[in-house]
Formats: sequence, structure tokens, C-alpha cells
Amino acid sequence: MIKIENLSVAFEETLAVNQLNLEIFDGEILGIVGESGSGKSVTALSVMGLLSSEATIKGGSIRMGEDWLIKDGKAQDKERLRKAQGNRMSMVFQEPMTSLNPTQKVGGQVDEVLLLHTKMEAQERYDKVLEAFKSVGLKNVEKVYDSYPHQLSGGMRQRVMIAMAIILKPELLIADEPTTALDVRVQNQIIQVLRNINKEQKTSMLFITHDLNLARRICNRIAVMKDGKLVEIGPTEEVFGNPKEPYTRKLIEAVPSRVKEKEDAPECTEEVSVNILEVRDLNIYYHEGSNSLFGQKKKRCVVENATFTLEKGETLGLVGESGCGKTSLCKAILGMNKLVEGEVKHFSTRPQMVFQDPYSSLNPAKTIGWLLQEPLRAAGKLDPACKMTDADMKAAAYDMLQKIGMPEKYFNRWPSQLSGGQRQRISIGQALITRPGLVIADEPVSALDVTIQAQIMELMQKLQEELQLSYLFISHDINVIYKMSDRIMVMKDGKIVEIGDKEVLFTNPKEEYTRLLFAES
Amino acid sequence: MKALIKDYLKNFKGNRYFWAGLVMTLMILLIAVVGYFWTPYSTTEMSATERFQAPSFRHLFGTDNFGRDIFSRVMKGIGTTVFISSLVVILSGAAGIVIGALTGYFGGIVDEIVMRITDAINGFPSILLGLVMITLMGSGSHNLIVSLAIVFTPSYVRIVRSEFIKLRDADYIKRARLMGVGHIRILFVHILPNIFSVFWASMMIGFNNAILAESGMSYLGIGVQPPDASLGKMLSDAQGYLMTAPWYALSPGLAIVWIVLGFSLLSEGIRRLQE
Repeated sequence: MIKIENLSVAFEETLAVNQLNLEIFDGEILGIVGESGSGKSVTALSVMGLLSSEATIKGGSIRMGEDWLIKDGKAQDKERLRKAQGNRMSMVFQEPMTSLNPTQKVGGQVDEVLLLHTKMEAQERYDKVLEAFKSVGLKNVEKVYDSYPHQLSGGMRQRVMIAMAIILKPELLIADEPTTALDVRVQNQIIQVLRNINKEQKTSMLFITHDLNLARRICNRIAVMKDGKLVEIGPTEEVFGNPKEPYTRKLIEAVPSRVKEKEDAPECTEEVSVNILEVRDLNIYYHEGSNSLFGQKKKRCVVENATFTLEKGETLGLVGESGCGKTSLCKAILGMNKLVEGEVKHFSTRPQMVFQDPYSSLNPAKTIGWLLQEPLRAAGKLDPACKMTDADMKAAAYDMLQKIGMPEKYFNRWPSQLSGGQRQRISIGQALITRPGLVIADEPVSALDVTIQAQIMELMQKLQEELQLSYLFISHDINVIYKMSDRIMVMKDGKIVEIGDKEVLFTNPKEEYTRLLFAES
Repeated sequence: MKALIKDYLKNFKGNRYFWAGLVMTLMILLIAVVGYFWTPYSTTEMSATERFQAPSFRHLFGTDNFGRDIFSRVMKGIGTTVFISSLVVILSGAAGIVIGALTGYFGGIVDEIVMRITDAINGFPSILLGLVMITLMGSGSHNLIVSLAIVFTPSYVRIVRSEFIKLRDADYIKRARLMGVGHIRILFVHILPNIFSVFWASMMIGFNNAILAESGMSYLGIGVQPPDASLGKMLSDAQGYLMTAPWYALSPGLAIVWIVLGFSLLSEGIRRLQE
């Protein structure tokens, strides 16, 4: 179906794809997995002919059936290429938010595809769009047709994107991280939709993801890429069950798996448990409606009757779909949300937080050393008793650098010179330098590659032991939660559905929702 | 640390905008400073015998309708104009930072009121508004500085405010708040350095605008008063003799172009350095 031979693509001098050979067969789902920067997306974009102008094709060829798309490093006749790429293949992107035009109704946007590529009448097109909407599992299709993107949820938007991609019945569908921005449950529905399309319409798929579990569930064959090169390719179960290359093995091992238990399992040290956080009957509200000068303000309850405790040295995992009130709960605990009723007691000095996005959680105008010392300076100002001399603060910062596994030379560097994983380490260091007892981690590893993810989780566990920390650990990734937590709390629509010991919850969940959530990942 | 500075210096090489702008601006500053202490001829002494002399070695840029040496007057005029515009930019910039930071960060009712006021000020052409203020306060270079600063402030308020709104919810600011950092320190230590590049660019543009505004005001006769020299004033005086003594208008005009161009190049160079 598609044959890629010796393809090399370069950005300036660096090769993003290096001598790649790959074949996609009729009707199969081929997964490309690899860390960010491995060349997965660039490969897909070369096939689609959507490479940006900074990228140059250095050599190789891509063939679709009998047609050459790229031959010996040169793109073929543009007109023909566009026809092939428009009609015979299509692509679904990661961000359903930005790939739809926010000012137009979604029905019209899908209709436009037909308008441009076919000679159908208006009524015929309308029926066709509704049919496509149905085939991707959308309900109330007439209503969806007349909706604007912001009126739809992330999952529905992604379904619309898929409908748009398959409406011309392409032979090849390229899906670039199509579910990464979605919740676990929605993720599964989208996967199901893609699988159905593959089965019913015999569409071949190129499925690009960094999530190995996901790739394992949907793909027939898997190609592992690293630094622009193909490391290994083979049937899914073979690659996962019996990886030939050490890199593949490393990738698979880095995936947090529920089969692997935390090594320090024997926890017979039954000390008298001390609660570090007590939350009782907590209601959290938000102002809704216009925030302009004369707008009427309405209160909306986002978290209802939350009651739980967190013990010293314990990790409480918090799972739930986005919008279920996880973040609101954290903010309330930290005192960043004033519209609350109920009781929050913490027995810790200034609980700290680690955020999801490593790129926005460090002040870009300051050096690492300054950032690490700032919490100490602030503490000194609040309480003269904690005041430290400059030399002491510097020493503490160097000490923390070492604790978080960063070389000392980073002291004078800027955040922009650091990778995502390194930034997250600094974030953690910054949160811990004042020795808070309680740290709230809001999806701290979700934005990172699997291997980095594993390192950060390891670091957090190591520091927990060293510094006697308690974590409230939020994640939508059930496997991460399982690896990190002692107990797990499940939230849905602002309510705590279930809370309990991790093993008990996984083996014998009381609530249907919990069972569904765990079963799907 | 040494390596860092070396790294930084490396960026200066090959930045032609920066060097060209720097050389042009330094020349202007040199002329202004020298002109403050010494000029080849007196800038105010008139001479009936030397009216409208064309440029020559005796009078490099010629003489004007009162027989005054234009080169000397341009030297003085550059000093006046640069001084006034710098002060205008510094005053309005400082006011812009304080007002913009407070309104942007805290928001609320004060923010609304301040924004409506800046809207009102922005609604008038700046020259017209300056004119009204000068008429109210009386002419003279001090009043000119104050009125231009008031006219220029809203644009800085807007820029600074929008940057503060953008950054006040950034994760790293939330974390600073969690650490217990005070509001004032967050405003000026945590956020301010991050808007520096945006603010710097608008200061540079503002400086050029201030030069043009000062020249415009003086041209209209409501800025610097005779016999003091300012580039705009000279330009307006030269207007009547454009046909008979074109060099009179040409020299202050070229000086304005030179200053604005030099400064624009310098700011572009600095912008590129920061990237």
C-alpha cells in the first residue's frame, strides 16, 4: 500500500528521519512508537506531503500503490500529489481544539470537504455528513451538525475530526497521537471507533503514539523508532512479548505496569499513623457567568461533600476524568480558592504543588539557583525565625540540586536550557526545599516521555522516603497512579465515588464507575 | 558564569542592526553633550550681514534668517530634543509600569475605571491632546514634557497590563504565591523581568514617537520657546524659506531622521539579541 524506502528528512543539519524503510500493508494498523524527537511525526508528515518549509527531504522515496509520491528525494508532480494526498489519504491530529475552525459550525466544516472533492448536491452532502457522524459513534447527529466546536466535548470534537478524515473513504488514515489530549474513557471510545473503521471500510492506518499500552491495544504491527531510525518492526505481540532490541526492551520496561509491584512492598512498620491532611464536608464553588463589571454572578458547585484524610508519609492517588473537580479540590486545599464551605486542616508548613507543564512552571527570567533559593527567601520574610544567610541558602540550593539528581553546574543555567524532565526535577526541588510535609502533584509526569516518566516517579518515591513526604498525586493514567499510590481516591462529577487501599480497589472495586475506569486502561 | 558572559557576547558579533544603531546613537549623544558645553558659534547671536549663507566651511550647515549658525543650533537642538523625549519616555514608561502592573495583576473595579480613562485618552489624537494640555498649563519645555508624558502613558499601561494579565495565572506565579512570596515582590521581581523584552520594544518605539511629537509641538509653536533651539522649532522656522534657503530645513530634518533611524536600528538589534 505505502512503501517508504531509505527516506531521510533533515531540519537544517540535523537528520530527523534517517534512512527509514517502512511498509504499510492493505487494511492493517501499523503503529509507530518512540519518544518525542524520534521522527514519528516527521515520517507521517512526509507521507502526507505536509512537511514545513524548514524541512528538506535529503533522499529516499515514498510510493503509494503504483504512484510515486517522492522519488529519489524529489517530490513528484505537485498537482497529482495533491490529488492523491487529498483523496486517498487523510490525517487526524492530536489537538481537537485547534484543528477545527472555532467560528464555523462543525457540520459546515465537514461539508466543505465534500464540496471541494465531490460533485454532490447539497442534500446528498448533508446526508453523507450525518452518515459519517453516525459511523464515528456520534449521537444526535443533526444537533452536532449545527454545533460550534466549543459546544462539543474533546471526545466529540475528535470524533468530528475522524468523520472529516474518513468521509472521502481514504485508503490510508494517519492518526498522529489522536487520543493523547483526551481522557482515558474517551480515549478508549475513540480507539474503538478507529478499529471499527479499519474493520468495516478496510482503511489502512498509520497510528503514531508515544503510549505503548495504547499501541499494543490497537495495532497489528509495531515499528519502534529512535533518533530518526527504525529500531525494530514486527507483529505487536512479538515486539512486546519478545523484543529483540535493547532499546525496545527499555521502552517497554519503562511503562508503568500494574503487574510490577513497588519493590519495597513489606510495609510492616505500623507506626502510629498521623494525619497530615484532613478534609471534611468540603464544598467548592465557582463563580459562573460573565466576569464583566455589571455581570450577574452565579455560584456553581464543583466539588460536593469531599471528606478524606491523608496520612504522613502516604501517597494518595486521585483519579477521575477531566472536569471532575480534581484541580479545584487541590486549589481549595492550598487555599487558592476562597469560595469554599467545610473544613480543610493540614498539619504541615505551607503545602507545595508540582504542576503538569514543565515548560510553564519555572520562571524563564531567573536562573536555576535563584529559583531554588526563592522559597527560602520567601519563608524568611514570612517568619523571621526561618531567616537564613545568603551562604546558607546557596548551600541548601546546591544540596537540593544533588538530591534531585542534577549536576551542580546547572546552578547558573536558565530554565530554557533544560529539557522537560530536568525542569520537572527543578520544580520538585523548588517545592521541597522548604521541607513541606505535604506536596500536591497535579499530573506531574503526564507531559513527559515514558522513560523520563519512570525516572521522575522514581525520584519522587526516593524523596518521599528521605524527607517523610505525603503526596496527593493526581493523574489520569491509571498505571501511573497504581505505581505511585498507597491508597486511591476516585472522583466523578465533583463527588468522591470511592476511596480505599490500592490493591482492594483494583481487585474488588465496589462502584461500577471505578470498575469501568480500571478496566479500560 | 564566565562561559555565560562569553556566550552572551558571542551574540553581539554579526548583529549589524545593533552595531549600526549603536554607532549612530552614540554620535548623536556625543553631539548633544558637546553641544551643551561648546558650539562653534553662539546659538543666539544674530548678524544682519550673514543672513541666509549657504553651507560653506565657515558655516557647515549655513546660516538662518537671523544670521545664526545652523550647525551650532542643530547641535543645541539635538540636545534639547533628545533630553525632552528621553524624559517623556522615562516618565510615561515608569507610570505605565506601575499603573499597568497594579491594574493587570489585581484587576477588579479599579482596573475597569483606569481602562476607561486610558480609552478616553487614546480616543484623541495625541498631538491634539497635547495641544489642549499645553494651552491649559502654558507653554514651555517643562510643561511640554509633562503633557507629552501624560499623553504617552496610556499606551504603556495597556501593554504592561496585558502582559501582567497573561502572566498572573502562569504556573510559576501560582507557585510563587504558594511559597508565600508577597504581592509586590511577585509584581516586580517575578513578573516584571519577563515582560522586559516587550516593554523595551515599546519604549524604543515610544522614544521615536516622542521625538516626532516634540518636533511637532515645537513646530506648532507650543513647545520650546525662542530663542532656544529645538529641531522641531527650527523646522517650523525654516518653512518660510524652503525655496530660498533649502539648507535651513534640511539640516534639522536630517538630524531627526538620523536620531530616529539610529534608535530604531538599535532597538531592532537589541530585540534580536534577546531572541
